[in-house]
Amino acid sequence: MSTLQFLADGFAVAFQWQNLLFAFVGVIIGTAVGVLPGIGPMSGVALLIPVTATLTSGLPTEAAAASSIILLAGVYYGAMYGGSTTSILLNTPGESSSVVTTLDGYQMAKQGRAGSALSIAAIGSFCAGIVSLLGLVLLAKPLSSIALKFGPAEYFSLMLLGLAAVSGLAGRSITKALIMTVLGLMLGTVGIDAVSGIERFTFGQPMLFSGIEFLTIAVGLFALGEVFKTILEKDDDDGQIAKINRILPTKQDLKDSAIPIARGSFLGFFIGVLPGAGATLASFFSYITEKKFSKTPEKFGQGHIAGVAGPESANNAASGGAMIPLLTLGIPGSGTTAILMGALIMYNIQPGPLLFDEHPEVAWGLIASMFIGNLMLLILNMPLVRVFAKVIETPKKYLLPIIIAISFFGVYAVQYTTFDLYLLLACGVLGYLFAKNDYPVAPLVLALVLGPMIENNMRRALTISNGDFSIFVTKPLSLVFLIVAVSWLLVPIFMKMRGKNVLINEEA
Amino acid sequence: MWKTLTKFAAAGLLLAGLAGCSSSDSSDAGDKGEKTASDYPKNNLTIVAPSGAGGGWDLTARAVAKTMNDTKLIEKSIQVENKPGGGGAVFMATYATKEADNDYMLMVKSPPILINNEKAEGNSKFGYKDTTPLAQLTRDYGAIVVKNDSPYKTLDDVLNALKTTPQDVTLAGGSAPGSMDHLVGIIPAFKSGIDLKTIKYVSYDGGGEAVAALLGGNADVIATDASTIATYVKSGDVRVLAVSSSERLEGELADVPTFKEAGIDEEFTIWRGIFGPKNMSEDAVAYWSEKLQAMSETDEWKAEVERNGWQSEYRNAEEFTKYLDEQNETIVELLTALDMQK
Repeated sequence: MSTLQFLADGFAVAFQWQNLLFAFVGVIIGTAVGVLPGIGPMSGVALLIPVTATLTSGLPTEAAAASSIILLAGVYYGAMYGGSTTSILLNTPGESSSVVTTLDGYQMAKQGRAGSALSIAAIGSFCAGIVSLLGLVLLAKPLSSIALKFGPAEYFSLMLLGLAAVSGLAGRSITKALIMTVLGLMLGTVGIDAVSGIERFTFGQPMLFSGIEFLTIAVGLFALGEVFKTILEKDDDDGQIAKINRILPTKQDLKDSAIPIARGSFLGFFIGVLPGAGATLASFFSYITEKKFSKTPEKFGQGHIAGVAGPESANNAASGGAMIPLLTLGIPGSGTTAILMGALIMYNIQPGPLLFDEHPEVAWGLIASMFIGNLMLLILNMPLVRVFAKVIETPKKYLLPIIIAISFFGVYAVQYTTFDLYLLLACGVLGYLFAKNDYPVAPLVLALVLGPMIENNMRRALTISNGDFSIFVTKPLSLVFLIVAVSWLLVPIFMKMRGKNVLINEEA
Repeated sequence: MWKTLTKFAAAGLLLAGLAGCSSSDSSDAGDKGEKTASDYPKNNLTIVAPSGAGGGWDLTARAVAKTMNDTKLIEKSIQVENKPGGGGAVFMATYATKEADNDYMLMVKSPPILINNEKAEGNSKFGYKDTTPLAQLTRDYGAIVVKNDSPYKTLDDVLNALKTTPQDVTLAGGSAPGSMDHLVGIIPAFKSGIDLKTIKYVSYDGGGEAVAALLGGNADVIATDASTIATYVKSGDVRVLAVSSSERLEGELADVPTFKEAGIDEEFTIWRGIFGPKNMSEDAVAYWSEKLQAMSETDEWKAEVERNGWQSEYRNAEEFTKYLDEQNETIVELLTALDMQK
């Protein structure tokens, strides 16, 4: 049978009334999970597994598995839609994958363009969802073999490219951005080393054994930092900036977002396919790419719609891409897909090379339902924009305590330790001081994510090559990434030396 | 609209929880009469797999959670959490300290709980004595695996290559050097008199990533659990050269020679058991001992064991602790021979 025939069969499964209902419930819960900080897609999916098991208990195993996974996957990509909401409205990233959305999304909200930002995030997520699904249908097999070719050397070079591109997140001073990057890398070394199992910088404190939680740092620096700034600088001119002009994006907004959405979709999809890279990285890469290719890079960080459209498309596309290694190889690329895999195994369905042959009903039913689910999410989210956007009209004296409460709740729900709450407070103060002195916090957060991955993959690669560093340039893919990384740094400098008037991040 | 719906969902969950609560209480009371003064468990339970998903610990934790809930032995919902890092050492540190009093968090572990505590490098301060062993559930064996198009046809081929050109052979596994996958991988080499320091071992975060490295050509040989590799054997992607059991396994790996048959006089059993926190209350220990014993006898559990290609082996808390003491001595011997002991 051809792919189309399989897909048609998949739609036959997905259009059964109970599966439509399951997809609908899944995406609604997913949206809620995405909006609420603290409950990420991972815990959302995990919490629902026993519920779906009960709901589907009457069905035959195969059908029950299809229905369950349709609901659970709905939560997963639904959360990617909802994740941008608090980032845009409150500068509080609900999921790590929407951290970068705060940079321009929150600025847009402050300018009264929250409606545009939220709806472009929904539209971008929808387009990305469809693109990644088409990719999943057409390219699953070849892509899974390419993903496998990604060894430690390739991962190292890709991550290094991400780090080189960090200058794209800089404010006015590249020196300050580099200081923050190094700070992030240093924070990333805290904890028990995953390659050798040796403690580093833990000072014997058990709460540091598993490293410093990324979300605590991000919420502290972004959300609490902003709160402290508002309080300390008496930035309380209520009413004027907070008015919402319109809900739907303008024609100009749509025009400005079309390319970033397309680029973000493809970029996110391919990064999502790589096990271990994930949605967070996809959104960061997309933001940096948009800034690099933009004709007006100076507008980024001040409420540029491309800075919302790109990353939000990318993180949604990544969640579609992540289904490829899960379904075709049985290798989960992220925490959430690992839990989805667990759910399938519960029904005695082993994701892996045999899934599409042994259980086509489940695999194709899931893919077809994701098309339907994405459409549901778009229809569901557009009216919600109106509701959510009202949040921004709340007077500051009520809004600030709410942000603080949400931040503490969110961090505690992930970590369950009071240590992280102190860390959160400390990061809030630091975030304020950084912002006041013009130190960009995004490079720190990105370096904290990338640092451990760079290090582990470098050590793995060097073990394979017997300590020979040439492995990074003899592997073709790795070499390509390295060349791009180097030229990313050097080309603007050369062009400047030749006296060309190009816009680069100059020293302030 | 979603607000209303989530409210309904929340109410539904709450109701389900309450229903579960009352029915488990009544059945307990019927079994043990007056003795059930304890109201453990009051909350939902968690079993932690201290690795990424898809590996042996993870599958065991999920199988226990599923069987307990499906058979209604435990009505409270059981979550499985993955806490990867340091070959299990990362979570072990948390478990032995922060969670030492948390009756609601259990852990699936296997020989690394002994190995990590005894080896010199990457030593974990905490071992099985910092937990409450509750039961051994299964045993599994290690497997030496190559890709289907690999030039190595037998374990001897691999050993010869390791002897002559060790720099060309990358051995990988899902856990840190000196841990289980590593030990499984180098036991044959050690027994054949190969200099272990020349062997390149690359550690990944979990068996799933190690398999990915093998399939992608980033590792030549991997050592992993015999049970998790069966599905890749069935699909024809990999070949298993040897298993560390004393007798041939059943099912997909029935044609694979044991270490002994391949001329290596050693075996390595990967037991898996379930542990409670160090200061687990007596009520909780009694509760789990009874439930785990009952579970190990259900048909659902036996089906689960068979499906995953494990072998069932139940030891209760007392026997298990004694067995751990013995195993610990064996491992100290092995590590001493490898010059990796504490």
